[in-house]
Amino acid sequence: MDPNTPQWTNGPVLSGRGLVKRYGAQYALAGIDIDIQPKDAVAIVGPSGSGKTSLLHVLAGILRADDGQIFLAGQRIDHLGEKKRSELRRTEFGFVFQSGMLVAELSAEENVALPSLLAGLGRKEAIDAGRQWLSRLGLAGKERRRPGELSGGEAQRVAIARALTHRPKVIFADEPTGALDTRTGRDTMDALLGAAHETGAAVIVVTHDRELAESMPKTVAIRDGLIATRLAA
Amino acid sequence: MNSLQIALRVLKVDRRTRTSAILTAVGVAVATGLVLLLATLPFATQHREQRALWQGDHFYSRDDGPAKLMFAESKDYFDGKQIIRVDVALAPGATTAGVQLPAGVPQLPGPGETVVSPALGRLLQGNSAAQLGDRFGKPVGALGDDALRFPEQLVALTGHTPDAMPESASPVAAFPSGKASADPLLMLLSWVGIIVLLVPSLVLVASSARLTAARRERRLAALRLAGATPGQVTNMVAAETTLSAGIGALLGLLLSPALRGLASFVPWAGGTWQAADFALPVGLTVFVVVAIPVLVVLAGVLGLRRVLKNPLFATGGHTKKPLRWWRLLALPAAGLFFLYAVTTASDSGGITMVMAGLFLLVGSAAIVGPWVTSAVGGTFVRIWRRPSSLLAGRRLRDDPKSAYRASAGIVLAVFAGSMALTLLPTFESMAGGGRSFQDSVLYVDTDTQHAGKIVDQANGSLQKYGQSEKAVAVGEVYLVQGEGRERSGQRALVMTCADAVKLTRFGLPPESCTGGPAVFSDSALDLASYKIAADWEGPAVAPKSGTRVETVHYPDEDLSRTLVIDPAAVPAGVTPERVTVVAPTTDANREIVRTALAGPAAGEEIGSRDQYLFNQQTELGDLRRVTVIGLIAAGILAGCSAAVATAGSVMDRRRTFGALMAAGTPVRVLSRALRMEAALPALVATIGAGIVGVLVGVGLYSMVDPRGIVVSPWLLAPVVLGVGVALLGASVCTPALKRVQAEPLAEE
Repeated sequence: MDPNTPQWTNGPVLSGRGLVKRYGAQYALAGIDIDIQPKDAVAIVGPSGSGKTSLLHVLAGILRADDGQIFLAGQRIDHLGEKKRSELRRTEFGFVFQSGMLVAELSAEENVALPSLLAGLGRKEAIDAGRQWLSRLGLAGKERRRPGELSGGEAQRVAIARALTHRPKVIFADEPTGALDTRTGRDTMDALLGAAHETGAAVIVVTHDRELAESMPKTVAIRDGLIATRLAA
Repeated sequence: MNSLQIALRVLKVDRRTRTSAILTAVGVAVATGLVLLLATLPFATQHREQRALWQGDHFYSRDDGPAKLMFAESKDYFDGKQIIRVDVALAPGATTAGVQLPAGVPQLPGPGETVVSPALGRLLQGNSAAQLGDRFGKPVGALGDDALRFPEQLVALTGHTPDAMPESASPVAAFPSGKASADPLLMLLSWVGIIVLLVPSLVLVASSARLTAARRERRLAALRLAGATPGQVTNMVAAETTLSAGIGALLGLLLSPALRGLASFVPWAGGTWQAADFALPVGLTVFVVVAIPVLVVLAGVLGLRRVLKNPLFATGGHTKKPLRWWRLLALPAAGLFFLYAVTTASDSGGITMVMAGLFLLVGSAAIVGPWVTSAVGGTFVRIWRRPSSLLAGRRLRDDPKSAYRASAGIVLAVFAGSMALTLLPTFESMAGGGRSFQDSVLYVDTDTQHAGKIVDQANGSLQKYGQSEKAVAVGEVYLVQGEGRERSGQRALVMTCADAVKLTRFGLPPESCTGGPAVFSDSALDLASYKIAADWEGPAVAPKSGTRVETVHYPDEDLSRTLVIDPAAVPAGVTPERVTVVAPTTDANREIVRTALAGPAAGEEIGSRDQYLFNQQTELGDLRRVTVIGLIAAGILAGCSAAVATAGSVMDRRRTFGALMAAGTPVRVLSRALRMEAALPALVATIGAGIVGVLVGVGLYSMVDPRGIVVSPWLLAPVVLGVGVALLGASVCTPALKRVQAEPLAEE
């Protein structure tokens, strides 16, 4: 066995070793090692173009690394094909994007239920589960509203519910509060971290927001594709 | 920076705007090309008829001076193909030099000579004289293209002495000339074609423009917020649209020769076309090339009204009003009007009302269609089991107008196509019937004076050709009751019972021929109350005594008013004025018998079931062909529109779909949802339009015949077309999604 392979007993839920990502001659990631523990909440910060979003996409299997290895619960996942990686993203990961990226035509409960429906769950079960998550995130009574009828914060909470509904091991959040005011942003992050803690999911948040990053238990600063500092609260 | 410079800059830097502009230009090019082609059709038929004017006997004048020619025009047939036959003779005292020849006619044939078209020349070479050549005489020249209606037309200009000219010949001063008119049916069809094909073309333009609508509206809203006046914004859009629509119109102009070339291969009225037929006057060409882009620019500017009204709409969003149920009333209201127009048309002659009803029905589709689309969407939203049904249902429910708009072109095409395809097989079933003679019989109508000569010469020729068939003369008399205005009666063919058994469709049993002279009738007849006359108004004489009446059940109702009378039963003093020379044929010797008749009856039309059906079948074939071509063209255009609209709808939601795919949703699952979303409106609209088209076809047919329509598999064609359009529209889902997947997640 590769001595670098983390053992999944009580070790990190997600690990990256020597991750490299190039765009032409430009290095977005220049050899990053990172470990995410279960129930961790990690903020990845850095200036524009530093490679933080690339790191998130590579760890989540959205982009394939040019070099390096990724382990999920001790199993190597970076060599998997697109089909397997999609399945992994659908079952083991959850995603929250800036502005929610909800399907405008669907109601809040349908948006939350959508991943389960697409995975083959029945209508009633998927919708019921969606309603429960909305209720836990303080959106009871707004299940039938469309994204256009919700405030920015409410729409992000719907996106959080959608990311949590299949109880993922890791939640990736890319600028989840980027389009929200400070107070709403803080509330949204509290909702995300609270719900993630409840389900035991680790959370990785990419953000520009210094205040948000400081409020997170762990922060990783990226510069020029390399980890500049690791801070633990 | 002026409006045009801004438009050019946007085109240069934005790939999607460029794609949209290219697709818009393609749509405008197709629309322009089609309109330019369809607009030429009336002119094309006019050009054709102008060249063939000399072949007809409708355009000569007897007042142009002293007669120089004897002229007769008739139609001959060979192996199911029509031959235009022009028989001429120099009038006594006239010389060849005094006759001006039509364009393309190299010489005036002398007696026993013929000048034929190249296609007929080839037929003459490939068949024996008995089959064809003996009908015309010795070929001495070939007609040029300028003398032919269409390149493969079969024409013979045959020379005679004046006394050998047919009875129907007229003395004329010159070959027919003048100004030909366009084919009214093709003129009507070209207008229908312009509407049926222009609408899907414009829908394609609209779908292409929509590809960037959201982005453009945001850009324009930003410009408005930055202080641009409504006029400046309008100018920018006009410049942007003029650029692509103008290039498209020019491309359409360049495309039109190719379309004309293709169209010249499509047969109409028996033949194809010369490429030069499709010439459009310069003024009309300029009008079309300018009008279409102007319409597109106008539509683009009108689509701006939301930005002009409120520059903030793009960021603030807007709610769509739900469609009201009363929209549904438009179809039954138009249907009732159409029904009323159809049922009263025969009394009032109100074809205008029927046409108005038809237009109302077509118009009502634009009102009812979006409501039905919304209702179908609502049903899917209620009963969905899979996310694909939910997504499709919601999309249809939320924006039924635009979902329907993408299908509007195909709705019109399918409506017109279904209507035509309902009527055509039914009209086809009506074709046939005709004269009292059997289908295999050839006949020539003439007078008593010529009949004997035709019979003798034809039988001589038949003997010479080694045929056992004989031509017989069948006279026509009338069995009448009363006198003067009170006279009533029935027509009777004078022929022996044995000939009637062999040659007619009356179904006389051979055993009825024994027992002496008889009159054969479909119903009981009191012969004592009838007299026999040579013509309807002439003197009548009582039938010969001892004539029996034989009642025979005719197999065809159409024959019921015709009797058969034995020549032996016709009293002395009654000599039929009209005589038909009749000859039986077999499939093997039909053309030989026709040749035998054509010699002595030169210039008289030789009738047959083939001839009777020729025009009907040609017209029905033409209609069927243009219907199918029109439907396919409209289907392809509508399919392209649906594909562009689908691509646009994926691009509109690229961030959402990108996020879903990033979160692990397989492309095939999203693709299935989008395929359903794209295919559903087209399918629903197509089937709906097909049903209404069939119903309207039934209504129109009821004006002509109260019997029911003929159900044909062709009625399924619109459904097949709808499925095709839907599949074409849906086919872009997977590539569009893969493109979104390949793009960086955050790009907008």
